[in-house]
Amino acid sequence: MTREEIYTAIVEILADSFELDAASITPESTLYEELDLDSIDAVDIFVQMRDITGRRPDPEKAKEIRTVDELVQFAVDERAAAERGDPEPDVQMPS
Amino acid sequence: MSEYDAIVCGGGLAGLTLAYQLRREAPEASVAVIERTTRPLPEACHKVGESSVELSSHYFDQVLGLHDYLKAEHIEKNGLRFFCGNGRAPLHTRPEIGPSEFPVLPSYQLDRGKLETDLRGFVERAGVDLMEGRAVREITLGANGASHRVRLDDDRVLEGRWLLDASGRARLLSKKLDLKRPSTNRADAAWFRVRGRVRVGDLVPDEEKSWHARDVDDNRWQSTVHLMDTGYWVWLIPLSTGFTSVGVVADQKHHQFADYAREDKMRAWLAAHEPVLAAKIADVPFEDFRVMRDYSYLASRMIDAEARWACVGEAALFVDPLYSLGGDFLAMGCSYATRLVSDDLAGRLDLDVARELEATYLLLAEDAVRTLRDNGAIFPREKILGAKLWWDFYNYWSFMSAHFFQEIWREDAETLRAFREMGERYYALNTIAQRVLEGWADIPSAGNSAARSFVPLPMFPSVLANQHIALGTKRSPAETLAKMDADLQVGRELVTEVLAHALRDVGLAGAAELGRRVGLDAASDLVIDARAEFDGLPRRERVARMPDIGRDMERALGRKEGDAPLRDLLVLARGERSHAEPAPGERLRTGSHTGKAPALP
Repeated sequence: MTREEIYTAIVEILADSFELDAASITPESTLYEELDLDSIDAVDIFVQMRDITGRRPDPEKAKEIRTVDELVQFAVDERAAAERGDPEPDVQMPS
Repeated sequence: MSEYDAIVCGGGLAGLTLAYQLRREAPEASVAVIERTTRPLPEACHKVGESSVELSSHYFDQVLGLHDYLKAEHIEKNGLRFFCGNGRAPLHTRPEIGPSEFPVLPSYQLDRGKLETDLRGFVERAGVDLMEGRAVREITLGANGASHRVRLDDDRVLEGRWLLDASGRARLLSKKLDLKRPSTNRADAAWFRVRGRVRVGDLVPDEEKSWHARDVDDNRWQSTVHLMDTGYWVWLIPLSTGFTSVGVVADQKHHQFADYAREDKMRAWLAAHEPVLAAKIADVPFEDFRVMRDYSYLASRMIDAEARWACVGEAALFVDPLYSLGGDFLAMGCSYATRLVSDDLAGRLDLDVARELEATYLLLAEDAVRTLRDNGAIFPREKILGAKLWWDFYNYWSFMSAHFFQEIWREDAETLRAFREMGERYYALNTIAQRVLEGWADIPSAGNSAARSFVPLPMFPSVLANQHIALGTKRSPAETLAKMDADLQVGRELVTEVLAHALRDVGLAGAAELGRRVGLDAASDLVIDARAEFDGLPRRERVARMPDIGRDMERALGRKEGDAPLRDLLVLARGERSHAEPAPGERLRTGSHTGKAPALP
């Protein structure tokens, strides 16, 4: 996937999941302010992004993300990590 | 003549687990099991019913104490996974509903031949008299407190204080006492095993990278996979002995049994309905092939403590293979019977306890039939199926599973009665829920629904995930009952959300018909008017006013702008109120919101 394709896929996830107009989303859109998302939305985005990244995100890195472009860069980095075979972070599941 | 405290007729899964449980919980009890077949049993190709769910897994795992054995010798199951939509389409294009994380509570894919061979060893070591290669010739129930007599095919006669029928579909006692009652679930099944692993991922080309990428732990294959379309579902179950179990279950309304009831016909049927799977196994021989016509039946009785008999497993009843509830009813039946036999031997048998346990069991069977019959039109439609799975899992975890996990069956008659009454309130709400789902499935979609390629079931975090996890926490009966009461209120909100999604999906053209089918006036427990007040608000404002379960349902089922306002849809749905009578015999009241809270004596 090219960066462009990843961007398109992420915009599609955002538009379909959160009743947003795809045309109103730009790389600079901020997730929590302009797009008005919250932490549960963020969890759902990362589950859907597994189709792109093939792995669980590092929650520490995921927490830092503020804009659509940072989300795209995150997916690019995760794909590269998957390619290198980097181990997934040890995610604590709810129990 | 040999005398026993309990004679178990049939040493299949039900008979073996019952005998094992009896020796665990009443070590003084002398127990005989009479079983026609001898070891070794064939691996894989022994019996069907390999998939266990939370309740039956808890029974095997904790109540029988087989956790280490199951973990070592069988496959840990990754929940239930559903692929719906067009059965002829490539699998990766079909909506997928299933776990995104391995379930917190364990369940297993059981190789029945292996399990039953091993259980025979366990019951022998537990001190049970296991008589293999012996058939029951005749049963004579003892009158007025006398012992029951069982004559074997070698003319030996056993006497027993309790007669426990675990003869499966032979239904020895049920036939003798005319206990069988018809089920309204009319469906047939056929199944076979193939050597090797048919992994669901092998049905999708490697090039479909995003579909494969979703399976981050490479454990999708450990799920019970359901391939579904109109009127049928096909299961794929991996077995620890290296085989795969494959089966077709079809509603008689939509599919003719004769079309798939022979091996060659099965291959042709699969090629017509599930061509991707058919092609994958085209050259693979079937290791066995079995069929079961009209498999569902109920019972008027399952236990009589006064006459000291009980029917467990399929010797009592069988509802449906979807959701793998057969093992659950086995677990409940064995546990109830064990409790009563133990009480009797200890001289503290309370017939009211027996009556409450039987009433609870029969109520849950009726509830399961209501849930599992007539779903054929739902299977291809992912949004309706998603809503159904949400409610059905919620209902299952909130009442039936909680009742079993918290071991309510060990309580006194008054406590059991309070729980049975709670069960009736859940049953009433389930009746409304199933009417919404069935009505929805019979009406075309207005086509404005958001579609999801993958819906995690359950999502993390979500109310549903909490219900699953909560089963692992030990609670007192009073705490359990209070939680069930609070959960029932959330259940009303859940069914309200299902109705709201259904109305928006069928749109202005279908709302009146849906209202007529559901009978909105009778379904007064739903809080749909309150829901309509804020339904049209922008997402953030709407979410702020919604109960958590409402938000979860939107996350699962999707929501798009442009749906007709819920308020307008409701006006239409109520339009034909004169037809909106509940069907005869359907109980629609789940108890008033303001009614007195249930209390334990």
